[in-house]
Amino acid sequence: MDPTHYMNERVDVVALYRKSGDITTLCFPYKMKYKNQEIIFTELCLRHPTSKGHRMIHVFDVSDGVNDYRLEFDAEGLTWTLVALLEGHYESRD
Amino acid sequence: MNLEISKEEAQIMHIDLNSAYATAEQQAHKSLRGKPIGVTNRISKHCCVIAASYEAKALGVKVGMRLDEVQQIIPDFIMLETDPPKYHHVYQSLCRIMKDYSPDVTMKSIDEGVIDFHGTKEFYKGRPLTDIGLEIKERVRKEIGSHMRINVGIGTNRFLAKEAAGWHKPDGLDLIDYRNIKKYYREHKLTDLTGIASHFEARLNAAGIFTPIEFLNASSDTLRRLVFRSVIGEDWYQRLRGYEVDNVITKLGNVGRQFVLDVRSADDNVILPRFQYLCETTGKKLRYNNVDARGVYVWAMFQTGDHWYVRKMHKQAFFTDRDIYAKALYLFNQRPKHLIITAMGITLYKLEPSTRSQQSIFDEVNKQEWLTTAIDEINERYGNFILFSANALEGKHKVKQKIPFGGTKYFELLLKRA
Repeated sequence: MDPTHYMNERVDVVALYRKSGDITTLCFPYKMKYKNQEIIFTELCLRHPTSKGHRMIHVFDVSDGVNDYRLEFDAEGLTWTLVALLEGHYESRD
Repeated sequence: MNLEISKEEAQIMHIDLNSAYATAEQQAHKSLRGKPIGVTNRISKHCCVIAASYEAKALGVKVGMRLDEVQQIIPDFIMLETDPPKYHHVYQSLCRIMKDYSPDVTMKSIDEGVIDFHGTKEFYKGRPLTDIGLEIKERVRKEIGSHMRINVGIGTNRFLAKEAAGWHKPDGLDLIDYRNIKKYYREHKLTDLTGIASHFEARLNAAGIFTPIEFLNASSDTLRRLVFRSVIGEDWYQRLRGYEVDNVITKLGNVGRQFVLDVRSADDNVILPRFQYLCETTGKKLRYNNVDARGVYVWAMFQTGDHWYVRKMHKQAFFTDRDIYAKALYLFNQRPKHLIITAMGITLYKLEPSTRSQQSIFDEVNKQEWLTTAIDEINERYGNFILFSANALEGKHKVKQKIPFGGTKYFELLLKRA
């Protein structure tokens, strides 16, 4: 039914900031450390702002090529949270 | 009245996001692309699909189908709960793109809008609208997401532009004017036309009109006197010929909330917290629109299938949560209490411009108003429903804010939720 796994865990993130480009590519979470594993993101699928009260939150929906991750950056607390994970499937080329 | 088909140059563009919510989810989740998915407000056994992806539609899933019905067709169907900020972002991005082309942009709902190009001819120096349509499509892909697709329709009025947008879904771009209008009508059924559902179809059939071409050829008199029995008939006569009749701004007539109960019950302990929460969210909408109400209408649906309602008009306009709840509860307590409720709702009507800035000579009234304003300000700062009545606590957890379907006027309010 709903394949989303909710985590809500703080994570370490390395993000990339570009000096120019359109808003969809200016800031990109490059990789994340979660449970001692390094996950490198290959695509920023959607980024959208939202708010929790007056706190500005940037939501990044990213993919590592297989799984989808929802990361939230709290612009006031400067924290990254892995909110949810959507498991994909490896597809063999054969 | 005897009108020719309008020979005006088509200058209205209708833009429609394909399966908006489902496509936005597929944009955000790469692993869901190409899969049959749906979106609902709250996942439960009886929830229904409010948006389905094209893959799901191709397999027979229709908007409004219940999850258990869908799972009979597609056992591994994926259903997600709505994410209003995500859709708001898509909506705002689409708005921004559209407003780059004309100052006259009207968003009809969260996933569709109209650009009126009248008066911009000099600026575009004869550039065809089909060319601009292609550019907008490209910008949507680039600026919102590579998976996002839109239908673009161009016509001489809003009706034809919308029809054109739906002609070749998904990802279509069509123009309807006097040159191909009859071709379009020949290819479609009456119920394919926006605004003609089974009820109007039956009326048209009774007057011997069975196809859109016959509808087009019917006289103004026939439509007004025989079919619609009102000026609506004349509107249709002009609309079908490409003349603009739909460029009107509607006035806010009422505000309200309704809720299908998560637990069917006749017990006040279950019903009243939810009812109070509905009253408080309705009060928020009222104050958000800066109006006061004089009328209250409450209703309930029972397990027996019966529908009950009662309404009352008051001399004095009101807007505080306490007033709304007190007036609504007085009416709601008149319901047949032994019957099990399945759904209920409240609507405030007879709206008038707010007099909130004017102080009352009665201190008690002022205190109530100041309290309401203070609560609204705190909620505005920290997110909606940070402060609310203790009685509505259970209601807050159970009654979810819904995605507005028709208009977009409450979107900002919805997003302020904590």
